[in-house]
Amino acid sequence: MSEPRDLRDLIGDDIEPDELERLQRMHALLEQAGPPPELPPSLAHAPEPPSARVIPFPRRYRYTALAAAAIAAVSLFGMGYLVAGGPDPKPVETLTMRGDGGATAELALFANDEAGNWPMEIRVSGLAPGSYELWLTRGGELAAPCGAFLVAGGETTVPLNAPFKLKEFDGWVVVPTGSDDRVLTT
Amino acid sequence: MTADARTDAELITDVAGGDRIAFEELHRRYARSVLGIALRRIGDRGRAEDATQDTFASIWRSASRFDPSRGEATSWLYTVARNAIVDGLRRRREPPVAEAPEIAEPGPGPDDAVEQGWVAWRVHRALDVLPEQERSLVELAYWGGLSQSEIAEYLSIPLGTVKTRTRSALRRLADELEDEL
Repeated sequence: MSEPRDLRDLIGDDIEPDELERLQRMHALLEQAGPPPELPPSLAHAPEPPSARVIPFPRRYRYTALAAAAIAAVSLFGMGYLVAGGPDPKPVETLTMRGDGGATAELALFANDEAGNWPMEIRVSGLAPGSYELWLTRGGELAAPCGAFLVAGGETTVPLNAPFKLKEFDGWVVVPTGSDDRVLTT
Repeated sequence: MTADARTDAELITDVAGGDRIAFEELHRRYARSVLGIALRRIGDRGRAEDATQDTFASIWRSASRFDPSRGEATSWLYTVARNAIVDGLRRRREPPVAEAPEIAEPGPGPDDAVEQGWVAWRVHRALDVLPEQERSLVELAYWGGLSQSEIAEYLSIPLGTVKTRTRSALRRLADELEDEL
């Protein structure tokens, strides 16, 4: 930045005192502000506007949500058995899920209750032993957890629950616990 | 209506509606000023450039919350910029490089620094409303290190014209700024 200088050197002497005082204020502000920085090439244009995104559950809440979903599923099935002697044998819808290496799953959706819970039963085969989670997806992103289950090899059948409005989602996926990698998709 | 003709407030409103051209125009008007604030606050140029990107992402996201009846657009933009820069520092858990030293030294305190940031923000924005020939002359005179005679020679115009245009530029700046600063 250049050295401060007399305003009269810049604009001449023939100026009314009031006007000189007014411009002197601007002169001081320019000296105070200093030059704006030059933009690097990376800031030559506006950044790509951030797109709307599905906010994933923070990991600590994700496990809490999964645990809650699992408890709700077990409770619902327990109540179902007590009230009706077992789950409704006729699912309202059965979905097939497929993955690499011949892994498959059949997801049977039973009639929802008045509160909006959708009891389900998932029968999985071909997945490596481990812990998995069933998620509802929206726009291709994991959006709502529907419970976790363990696979020891072979075929596994477990009850689950989806306490959501299913019309608000567009698919189902199974992922290894703590991962976003799809191992089964609808 | 072209992007250049829109006021800052109109641009922000249009950005809220997803207008990418308005967003680009806001960036053209304010990127240097935002980078200036980030440099003052952070000190490190690379991180200041990142903070500038973050600021414009924040402007895009929060444009719908701008209410012209509650204040000037330039004040709103300044607040969004300052908050985005501070949030970015918190998120990365990095101390500002230019943070005040533990031992008091002569110089501007935090309030003064904020004041100086605001002055620079408004002055730089006000320069944008000057005609190009006046704006470039002011930049040469104040920050280019040239005397009025050197500017006259550089621009191939009479010395009297340099002084007349400088005076005109300062008058326009006064019209633009004297109610605020």
